[in-house]
Amino acid sequence: MSLDHAATPSHQSALSRYRLLWSQTPQSFRIGLVILLAHLIVAVTGPFWAPYGFSQMGTGIPLSGASWGHPFGVDQLGRDVFSRVVHGSHIVILLSLSGTALGLVVGAVLGLLSGYLGGWFDNLLQRFLEALISIPFLVLALIAIASAGPELSGNPILVVLVVALVYAPRIARMARAAAMDIATRDYVTVARLRGESAWSVMRRELLPNATGVLLVEFALRAGYAPVLVGSLGFLGFGLRPPTPEWGLMISENRALIIITPITVLGPGLALASLVVGLNLFTEGLARILGRTVRLGAQ
Amino acid sequence: MTGATPLLEVRDLTVAYRQGGGWACAVDQVSFSVQAGEVFGLVGESGCGKSTVSLQLLGYRHPSTKVQQGDVIFKGRSLVGMSRPELDALRGDRIAFVPQNPTTALNPGIRIGDQLVETTAAHGRAERAQGAAVITEVLKLVGLPADPAFQRRYPHQLSGGQQQRVCIAMALACDPDLLVLDEPTTGLDVTTQEQIVGLLADLRRRIGVAMLYVTHDLALLSQIADCIGVMYAGRMVEIAPTHEIFQRPRHPYTQGLIASIPLIEEQSARKSRPLRGLLRRRDLPTGCPFTPRCDYAQARCAAERQELKAIDDSRAVACWRWREIAPIPAEPPAALAVTRPAVAVPALSVDRVDVLYGAKGRGFRAVNGVSFDIEEGEVFALVGESGSGKSTLARAISGLVAPDGGAIKLRGEALAPAVGDRSRDQRRLIQYIFQNPDASLNPRARIGETIARPLVHFFGMDGRRARTMVADALHDVRLDLSYQERYPDQLSGGERQRVAIARALVAKPALLLCDEILSALDVSVQASILALLQQLKSEHGIAMLFISHDLAVVRMLADRVCVLYGGEVMEIGPREAVFAPPYHPYTYSLLHAVPVPLRRPDKPIQSRGLAEPKRGGAGCVYAGRCPWQLGEICETERPPWREAHAGTRLRCHHTLEDLNARAVSPSARNKEIAV
Repeated sequence: MSLDHAATPSHQSALSRYRLLWSQTPQSFRIGLVILLAHLIVAVTGPFWAPYGFSQMGTGIPLSGASWGHPFGVDQLGRDVFSRVVHGSHIVILLSLSGTALGLVVGAVLGLLSGYLGGWFDNLLQRFLEALISIPFLVLALIAIASAGPELSGNPILVVLVVALVYAPRIARMARAAAMDIATRDYVTVARLRGESAWSVMRRELLPNATGVLLVEFALRAGYAPVLVGSLGFLGFGLRPPTPEWGLMISENRALIIITPITVLGPGLALASLVVGLNLFTEGLARILGRTVRLGAQ
Repeated sequence: MTGATPLLEVRDLTVAYRQGGGWACAVDQVSFSVQAGEVFGLVGESGCGKSTVSLQLLGYRHPSTKVQQGDVIFKGRSLVGMSRPELDALRGDRIAFVPQNPTTALNPGIRIGDQLVETTAAHGRAERAQGAAVITEVLKLVGLPADPAFQRRYPHQLSGGQQQRVCIAMALACDPDLLVLDEPTTGLDVTTQEQIVGLLADLRRRIGVAMLYVTHDLALLSQIADCIGVMYAGRMVEIAPTHEIFQRPRHPYTQGLIASIPLIEEQSARKSRPLRGLLRRRDLPTGCPFTPRCDYAQARCAAERQELKAIDDSRAVACWRWREIAPIPAEPPAALAVTRPAVAVPALSVDRVDVLYGAKGRGFRAVNGVSFDIEEGEVFALVGESGSGKSTLARAISGLVAPDGGAIKLRGEALAPAVGDRSRDQRRLIQYIFQNPDASLNPRARIGETIARPLVHFFGMDGRRARTMVADALHDVRLDLSYQERYPDQLSGGERQRVAIARALVAKPALLLCDEILSALDVSVQASILALLQQLKSEHGIAMLFISHDLAVVRMLADRVCVLYGGEVMEIGPREAVFAPPYHPYTYSLLHAVPVPLRRPDKPIQSRGLAEPKRGGAGCVYAGRCPWQLGEICETERPPWREAHAGTRLRCHHTLEDLNARAVSPSARNKEIAV
């Protein structure tokens, strides 16, 4: 966007410049951003204004359905589902974002190095990553959790690690493709002639020029991460009750879905809106980045 | 101009591009006309709008361009207002286009015969069945074999020159009235270029097609155009017949442009000063856009718009002072007193180096037994066409490809074949500068960081000391200190190349490998980088391996020259000796092919076409393409080395006397056209 900045006459105020930038963004980006901001605000401020505590029992008549006092109903233990959703917001967002971020770091480093170095390292790593990718991600996650042992189950760090494990190979493949492209540029050859180490080449030459690809990749993965976290919770491999994690709540209330569908629908809607918001946002972001971020020179 | 209705008339054409929120004017009230059968040349530096004009002649409407004003009238019909179906009927039929890059212009998945038939079929000129006859005819016209076997080839099975001929054949298939050529020879070798230009001149004589020839190469234009229009920053600054423009350029920009052409002949013939500065579209004055770079500029120039005014019946110029301005003579090049240290050990010694590509056994011999020494502080030029192995040799010296035989020594020390096995000091002493300045700088690093990196890496400098060195380096390449904070995309091509040079210089190398570092740049930028290199040569005394296909540039810079063909040395020796008879036949054909202003080419000397080099055969690699081939012996026996004067060595079966005689025979020399 540097060109746009330069082309904008200087007499325009900063505000109108931002307005111009905003008007150039795709609509999906704007809608996604609004939904995402709403979620972030709830996640940050929610614990202060939620009507009840997340494990507070006896807030109303159990399974009484939706009402003004309990928009998402009351579960069988008498807990207010809406308050639980609000309290759980930051957990879901935090777990999915940190899991994706970890996957990004590991995947990017491995992928970039693999693409730059090539040879046996690349070959070996790629076969290993292909093996990981070929396992359906939920199965892979379950295998990882099962092999971690029972004493670690329910640990949020384990959930983060599992999300990272699922995403890292997929991100690594994208990073590798980007690195193979960038490695043909003359500035990388210059660095190689200088005798720079692979790590230094990756950090200085490859990584800064792959940021566009990696950001898009991060955004796309992050958009789906809440579903993964929720799925783990739903299957009972995620966090432990009474943590107000959305997937776990859906799982807990699903037996009584016929009586009070709202107790399942509430967390489900929250999860769906987060995923939709993230996806719209990242799709728009990908379009903006695709427009402005170039891999080196054209 | 003349009374006849022109074939094509462009009137006050103003084209704008969408940029940011508004429109940026790329072409500003350009007017000119092309008569039937005339060749009109459009010349200017990159960004001057010449390609935009040529695309408008085809009625090409990109969604982000807008014709704001003016008209393009072709045979009495306006192209600007024309509907899409009307345009489709006209384009390719009456007006045809020859693109710059034939490799991307031809569909790689369709046989060339079929591609040619498509054009004729699209315009209903001939049914597919009859098309074959037309195709055979146009292929013959452009000097390609017309047999079915050739038509069944795919584009990748043709050489670059042949591909461009196919593009020209495609353009000619419907017998158009006007051919628009956008830099048709820019990507080609100089000998191929000579043949294509010869072909175009020939076509014009035979079928009388009018041409609009767009190029940045004024010298080339002088060989084919009748009339030349010079554009600057979207405006036409001068239109004149070709002789006139070279003999008496009126506009200061034209004068500078002519003076910027590197001359292969004597340098003293310069009439005026080369261009200085750069076209910066962002800060143009309201008046004449050339004011910031003009030697004659006055206050009125910047304020008052200069319209193109006819100064006699055939020429027009957009400068109110055209009567007064006389060329400022160029400063004679300062005598470069190079004090070379008297050392016995050469900076670089290359001894019988071979480089093979491909599978073992069936390998392709890219470099075959090449030997030479580069003395300290010497500029050693490697010349040859693409595929001659010059870049491969540079890559072998740098350690990017391991040679398969021979030895490379740096200051007497043998170098390991791969860069990874060389010592840090050896890596520092050889610095590589690449052809394409766009790709050689990390777009995400500031210029300051880019230049500082070798300092940190090789000398372990801390940030503060590195910064002062970076400032010195920027000063060395004549860039302002403020460039440190910029990113490469904020720089022009020439500035980026200066940064690449600065990055190489800070490592304090013993040898610079300059791989075609000027060929991606405009003439005026080329001239300034060349001047910079000449200064650096005298200031630093670094040895340079200067790779170029441009003999004029080589003549201005090099101390010694080595001519490569098919991976083998054809001729090697001091510059003046290589550029004087006796020539090796290949050197002669290269020299002959360079366009020189106002020198009409006679027939290209090669009648044998562009045969592939005969690598690894029993005879001479140049046999089969050699214009002076002796006979059987060239195919069967390796030519001997012959020692000419001043230490020049060349490899040919001809005796030196024979070569001398051929080089000066009247049929081989070119005549200056009468002016």
